[in-house]
Amino acid sequence: MQPSEATALKGAPKGALFSGWSAGLAGLLAPSEEGLKRSYFKGTGLAAALLSPQLIILLFFFFVPSWKALSLAFVQIDPFGGKSVFVGLRNFVELFASENYRYSAWLTFWFTITQNIITLVIAGALAFAIDHIVRARYAYRTVILLPYAIAPVVTGAMWAFLFNPSVGPVAGWLHAMGLPWDPNLRPWDAVVLITMASVWNHICYDFIFLTAAMLAVPQSLREAAAIDGASQWRRFRTITVPLVMPTVFYLFIINFVYGLFDTFGIIDAVTRGGPAGSTTTLVYKVYQDGFVNLNLGSSAAQSIVLMALAVLFTILQFRALDRRVNYQV
Amino acid sequence: MSKFVRGAAVAGAAACLLASLASPAWAQDKTSIEWWYANGGRVEEGIQKIIADFNASRDKYEVVGIKKGNYEETFAAMIAAYRVGQHPSIIQSSERTFLTMIDSNAIVPVSELMTQQGYTVDWANFVKPVADFYLVGDTPAAMPFNSSTAVMWYNADHFKAAGFDGPAATWPEFEKQLYAIKEKGISECAMALNSDFYWSLIEGYSSINDYPFGTKGNGFEGLDTEYVYNTTPVVQQVERLKKWIDDGVIQLAGQGLSPMQLYTSGTCSTISASTAGHADVEANAKFNWSAAFQPHEEGVEPHNSNIGGAALWVLKGKTDAENAAAAAFLNFIAQPDTQAWWSEWTGYVPVTNAAYEKMKAAGFFEKHPTREIAIKQLSQGTPTVNSRGFRFGNSNQTSAILVEEIQAAWTGQKTVQQALDAAVSRGNEVLRQYEQLHAAQ
Repeated sequence: MQPSEATALKGAPKGALFSGWSAGLAGLLAPSEEGLKRSYFKGTGLAAALLSPQLIILLFFFFVPSWKALSLAFVQIDPFGGKSVFVGLRNFVELFASENYRYSAWLTFWFTITQNIITLVIAGALAFAIDHIVRARYAYRTVILLPYAIAPVVTGAMWAFLFNPSVGPVAGWLHAMGLPWDPNLRPWDAVVLITMASVWNHICYDFIFLTAAMLAVPQSLREAAAIDGASQWRRFRTITVPLVMPTVFYLFIINFVYGLFDTFGIIDAVTRGGPAGSTTTLVYKVYQDGFVNLNLGSSAAQSIVLMALAVLFTILQFRALDRRVNYQV
Repeated sequence: MSKFVRGAAVAGAAACLLASLASPAWAQDKTSIEWWYANGGRVEEGIQKIIADFNASRDKYEVVGIKKGNYEETFAAMIAAYRVGQHPSIIQSSERTFLTMIDSNAIVPVSELMTQQGYTVDWANFVKPVADFYLVGDTPAAMPFNSSTAVMWYNADHFKAAGFDGPAATWPEFEKQLYAIKEKGISECAMALNSDFYWSLIEGYSSINDYPFGTKGNGFEGLDTEYVYNTTPVVQQVERLKKWIDDGVIQLAGQGLSPMQLYTSGTCSTISASTAGHADVEANAKFNWSAAFQPHEEGVEPHNSNIGGAALWVLKGKTDAENAAAAAFLNFIAQPDTQAWWSEWTGYVPVTNAAYEKMKAAGFFEKHPTREIAIKQLSQGTPTVNSRGFRFGNSNQTSAILVEEIQAAWTGQKTVQQALDAAVSRGNEVLRQYEQLHAAQ
């Protein structure tokens, strides 16, 4: 009993960074003795009391919904809850046989990877630039941070309008340049549009972390390198980059989670998953099938698939993070 | 938008406050019930006006109206609430949810409720094509409220400049007009495609031209119905729309813009949209606007078009006092005065003959001739098995599938025939699931 409690406690600081349940889960999966050094309780009462708020949250926000999803995934059910027929694995079979679902999975994969890398590169470039600007640094920083204060739905509505082929000013410029821009009829344009909107909304988040990480690079190291004659680029490459790498890795994972789950608002406002389902990511499909089409069985089956994905990601994250990030107090 | 959000928030907050304040003494004095609706803009103002009038005229009952989003969102919210017993007394639900509502086992048929509560409603007085849609046996299961049908809105200035009096009666002639408007440079956009085109230009097209949409009398005769629109001239209709899109004759508004704005701003010359658009057009169109009947195919005697809009349903599981309040409110709505006012305010068709006659007698339609098109179009020709309506389960889902597949034809990923075949086969899967669930009741 005690070792598992102790490891769960060790997971707690990570829980602050990620959703709590994943921390607890990873803690159980990857036990380690290091954490025992200082945070160790002899009695179980206090430990249980300290754990209980987290456990209650887990119960209501993870276990109960998961159980609901599991119980719905194997039935066809009347949305009003009156009648239900057990159908075994049919919801899953139909899902994997569905061309639309496979497309959605493929789209989600490329969409999350692309927005992830573009976001990191742009945010990295901006953070690097800010690090080397002396005048009006705070003004720049504030401007770059502004998009983070805008809700995804508002971002989406704005992008949808700017790029609307009938009335959008940006679409007008594109047309003037001879580009046949039309996200209503050209699936690729729609995918580009939601990618741009998602990146724009998330750059600031990455930017904050990268700026902070770069500020934390000891000035003495850089000065020493400068005295040794290293160029600015070389100092960045050999000193700053390795020291901010843990942050980059952390952001890489956060961006994944953002791309997978949090771009819903943008997609709903910009394309509604269209045209012809070309921007329907896995999460958007869960919503469409569950809350618009009221096909609760299929929607629950899709949620289970997503949950499995999330669990898999979490395990990978913590395996990798444990190696790269030092949590030692 | 923000106004509705604020309105809804205020209404929601008011409802919460009422619930928390409801002392026993209060409850005896006044029974408060909720009505969830799905309209915005001027229509919503009309709804709130009706509610305010009702509340002011009754001491015992109070209705609280809450907007829950569009029809689909309101429907989903209602279902979620029903599952935990927090549902409203009255819900406004679109015409295509009819069968789902009937089979839900969650409703009290309106005619039954009215009889129980001692109200006599003259159901025969309801306008036939509207009332017929909501009949189960001889009595309606829901109270028709905002009933509409699609009409062809047009910019009379554009048509005059192109040398036409108005939209032609048949699709091939109408097509020539659209191309003429575009080619003569009168308008870059001869037509805007409304977001509910599957209702007006596909289902409505099948009704008016008397083409079957599904087997078993479009689902009226059994749950084992199957879609067949991939074998009817609907194919040719979608081909036609695709050609117009490819040639830039018709424009899609997309997100961030309502298609109706493309028409009311004078950008697009025509739009096939609900007669309820009157509220918007009358307020915003700054040109010589008008409306006409929907076109039909050549050599076809046009039949009635399909109804749209929504009806009011009463949900189960409420106390007798709440049911009494709901009945009193529905009775208020069924009054010719309310009906006539509502129709004049919004552009929805009058749903009772009494209201229709009242408006006629007041000379309303002489002053506003386009207001009468919808009701005339709903009554044109003799209703047939194909034109009387649609009874398909989970119709929200099959409509979404149809739209998705048609978009695949427009983007060029599929041919029109392939797209409609896919829509039918996916739609039929949904119908089979529905049948499996509801056949053994």
